[in-house]
Amino acid sequence: MPGADKETDLTERIEAFLADLKRGGSGTGPLRGSGEMARETTYLLRRITAQARWSSAGDLMEIIRNEGRRMTAAQPSETTVGNMVRRVLKIIREEYARSRGSSEETEQQESLHKLLTAGELSEENFRQHFVHLKANVIEAINELLTELDGTTDNIAMQALEHIHSNEVIMTVGRSRTVEAFLKDAARKRKFHVIVAECAPFCQGHEMATGLSKVGIETTVIADAAIFAVMSRVNKVIIGTQTVLANGGLRAVNGTHSVALAARHHSTPLIICAPMFKLSPQVFTTIFYPFPGSFSYCLPVLREILSKVNVHCPVFDYVPPELITLFISNIGGNAPSYIYRLMSELYHPEDHKL
Amino acid sequence: MSSRGGKQKKGNVTSEQEEEEQPLQAVLVADSFNRRFFPISKDQPRALLPLGNVAMIDYTLEFLTSTGVQETFVFCCWMSNKIKDHLLKSKWCRPTSPNVVHIITSDLYRSLGDVLRDVDAKNLVRNDFILVYGDVVSNIDVSQALQEHRHRRKVDKNISVMTMVFKESSPGHKTRCEEDDVIVAMDSKSKRVLHYQKTQGLKKLQFPMNIFQHGSDEFEIRHDLLDCHISICSPQVAELFTDNFDYQTRNDFVRGILVNEEILGNQIHLYVTQDGYGARVSNLQMYDSVSLDMVRRWVYPLTPEANFTDQQGQGCTHSRHNVYRGAEVSLGHGSQMEENVLIGRDTSIGANCHISNSVIGNNCTIGDNVVLDRAHMWNNVHVSSNVEIHQSVVCDGAVVKEAVRLNKQCVLAYNVVIGPNLSLPEGTVVSMHHPEEEEEDDDDEFLSDDQEVGHSKDKTRQKAFNPAEVGPEGKGYIWKASMNDTEDEELAQCLWGLVLNPDPESDSESEASEESQDRSRSVSPEIDDVNAFQLEVLGTLQRGLEENIVCDNLVLEINSLKYAYNITLKEVMQILTRVVLEYPFQQQGTQLTTLQYTGSLLPLLKTWSPVFKNYIKRAQDHLDCLSAVEELFLEQDTHQTAMVKVLMKMYQLEILEEEAILKWFSTGATNDKSRQLRKNQGVRRRVRRMSLRRKESAEDESSEEGECGRRGIKTEDLRTV
Repeated sequence: MPGADKETDLTERIEAFLADLKRGGSGTGPLRGSGEMARETTYLLRRITAQARWSSAGDLMEIIRNEGRRMTAAQPSETTVGNMVRRVLKIIREEYARSRGSSEETEQQESLHKLLTAGELSEENFRQHFVHLKANVIEAINELLTELDGTTDNIAMQALEHIHSNEVIMTVGRSRTVEAFLKDAARKRKFHVIVAECAPFCQGHEMATGLSKVGIETTVIADAAIFAVMSRVNKVIIGTQTVLANGGLRAVNGTHSVALAARHHSTPLIICAPMFKLSPQVFTTIFYPFPGSFSYCLPVLREILSKVNVHCPVFDYVPPELITLFISNIGGNAPSYIYRLMSELYHPEDHKL
Repeated sequence: MSSRGGKQKKGNVTSEQEEEEQPLQAVLVADSFNRRFFPISKDQPRALLPLGNVAMIDYTLEFLTSTGVQETFVFCCWMSNKIKDHLLKSKWCRPTSPNVVHIITSDLYRSLGDVLRDVDAKNLVRNDFILVYGDVVSNIDVSQALQEHRHRRKVDKNISVMTMVFKESSPGHKTRCEEDDVIVAMDSKSKRVLHYQKTQGLKKLQFPMNIFQHGSDEFEIRHDLLDCHISICSPQVAELFTDNFDYQTRNDFVRGILVNEEILGNQIHLYVTQDGYGARVSNLQMYDSVSLDMVRRWVYPLTPEANFTDQQGQGCTHSRHNVYRGAEVSLGHGSQMEENVLIGRDTSIGANCHISNSVIGNNCTIGDNVVLDRAHMWNNVHVSSNVEIHQSVVCDGAVVKEAVRLNKQCVLAYNVVIGPNLSLPEGTVVSMHHPEEEEEDDDDEFLSDDQEVGHSKDKTRQKAFNPAEVGPEGKGYIWKASMNDTEDEELAQCLWGLVLNPDPESDSESEASEESQDRSRSVSPEIDDVNAFQLEVLGTLQRGLEENIVCDNLVLEINSLKYAYNITLKEVMQILTRVVLEYPFQQQGTQLTTLQYTGSLLPLLKTWSPVFKNYIKRAQDHLDCLSAVEELFLEQDTHQTAMVKVLMKMYQLEILEEEAILKWFSTGATNDKSRQLRKNQGVRRRVRRMSLRRKESAEDESSEEGECGRRGIKTEDLRTV
């Protein structure tokens, strides 16, 4: 039976992806970088849409929601996966609405009255069967994939608007987006970059090598020197792991101190973050995992370590009031505008998978 | 990190290409073949004991799968049905699993050697495979080691048979298991193992000379390595185990390969990693530390909240200070979970409890005012109020009643009931199995925990529980160190592995090597065999003297020893000479005066002269014998004068020929000391006289018989002395 074959093939792929997610925490596993993670997730979701058995949009959404829940549980620190699941769910809703002929706008507009009266109705709405729905959804997911492929370039294109000649830029650790951003600017302008090394993983060293290769004047400083150097800096440009719903950040450890130093010196803090990093989550206390593989920080296990507890937090929370500007693939936005982007990208019912 | 990441990626790519041709295989031995976990392992095989609420074998399988193993053979023996059931239910046997698990069971496996011989017999492996035990917990990325191993095999035409994975960790680290403490000499460049020895708590260690002469200019002797018990083997390993039916453990194998390196041309290599975590849970001490490391996230990404076994309801949340909580956990008012605590699902904890560094299983109930520190509780344990537990293991279904105190290193095995109002002393082991039941059933020395023990249940039921030991309502028998049986004494120590008590054989072995080390300070480039042979020869001669055995029989015995230890004729002679000359020291201590020494030695020489004559025949033999004599007297500075007499005696007994002695005297002076020895008055005079005699005898050879001439010398000698 070819159908059964397809199904086992699909589950196999899902299992493999889940296993990769579990092993690949914080960029050490086979999957590296949230961009790659986002693409992988979307490919998988497209495959599910194409190969799983479903008759109506409601079924499909249920399947995707289930798988999405498992994927996010597999690697809670990686929010990109959940974001992509939400994006796809939103696509299905839109395509369904389009097939029914109602405009998306009316569906989207939620009045307080509607919220109070709606109840379970929304699920029932998706029971109708449409022949072309599958093709349309896949088409829309393909568009999403093209969008993902272009994010870094889109962000890098805006570099010249923000970086001027002879400026001193500070960045922290390594971010592929920021690296591309700076490199793009370096084609036309001359400027100086100061990279904080970001111990203990010291991704900053890599970043500095990458930048100096294209001829950017680069200096690496220790994390402790951030405040001292800040007075000379014109702009701080950093990447982030996640953009939270309130406009705050969950970024690599040490970012908070950079943001505070920048605020103290009134230096603008610019965040380069593609839209897929925008997550409907907000900061909570349990949102503080320490997925550190400690042996990296302490390469030699000494005798004394038997008696020591080692904690290695990987992420910092940066409150939105410290941030000046977000540069995403659709342009620059202030932190206060994040709520709007959120409602454009995700359906409110999908915030919780 | 980029360089590291890059390398890894490359490694994955190449290994993937090869994997397309041949899937990577692994052999997992789900049996320990020892009884370290007795009496716990009487009810549950070691591989299924929970560590952080997950069976140990799951960690091993996850490790294998994450390194890209596609086919795993699980060998089980003791309670193989339980292991099989567990695996069939787990995610490893789902059709989607990337790692295909084959379960092979047999009651006949007695050791690792048996398993590998079976691997060879069934022709299971076709390519390099990973060999691990079912109780290894690791997150080491072995793809690098695998790549090195393959590269070596490609370059050197299959000379390297095994790559062992070691982790750097300095002595004294708690995940270093004292029993596995190892000292390794290796070539720095090629990473080839030159010498491998378990230290077994020895103060002195001996290294064979040949490791220093192996042509390589750089080598390391390391004691900072932790054996992860992960080895990458080529298919030859299984064949070698078949060829050498006496190999039982990997240790045997490694030693065998190293000893026969020149003959068979096989080599063993080492892979030393600095990051990652790898340890084998070989006793309860290790269990305790590995379990804590797990909770402290050293084995990331194998953390408790990752739920890598993918079982329903096993998930838990992680919060600050490494506190993990499963589903439906209830915590009473005022209870504190200080740090490093893992609590399984459906467990309820009463009020005002103090919990730190502990793992608590599923479905446990814990009363009020309980103090737990380094407690390892498995599933369905009931603990009443006011209990204190320190560094102890409480197995499934055990019940701890009111106001019980478990001191350090207690073990409550399955379904034991303790208390109320009792304090168990340190190191108490309580089990539902009676220790005597054990004794009755295993007369067999080689019994391991994988052997079926006939349950004589009626008998055990008759024996009443001792309320003084386990409390008024208690159920269980104490397995105590102080029991009359020495085996039991080993038990408690084995369980926790605190005190080193090597097996009887290895004990004697280490003693022997220490002894021989003391005596044979000579720079002989030989290995253990020679020392052992020397001891045997000494024993034989001693016995011969005591029991008045005919010299012919002694020769016969020495000859058979020679074959047993694979000793060349030349060495036999040298050792024999040495043993005989040292004999008076052996018997009467080293404080002998020269006179006493010669007094006791000369009759001995006479008694054993037939033995010597049997071995010393060719001219070269004479010279070898002389050099052995010389070597010994160089060491025994104070007795150099005795050498004259010894040589004379040997000459008189026709052990040594005159010609040989002269030749030795004229040629051999290789260093200052031996020159000095030759300058020694007596020797010089003797030899001069000998040469004179030679001329004389050549002149009137026809008239005088050789014997007469010798007698002449003898009388002359007596006069000179």
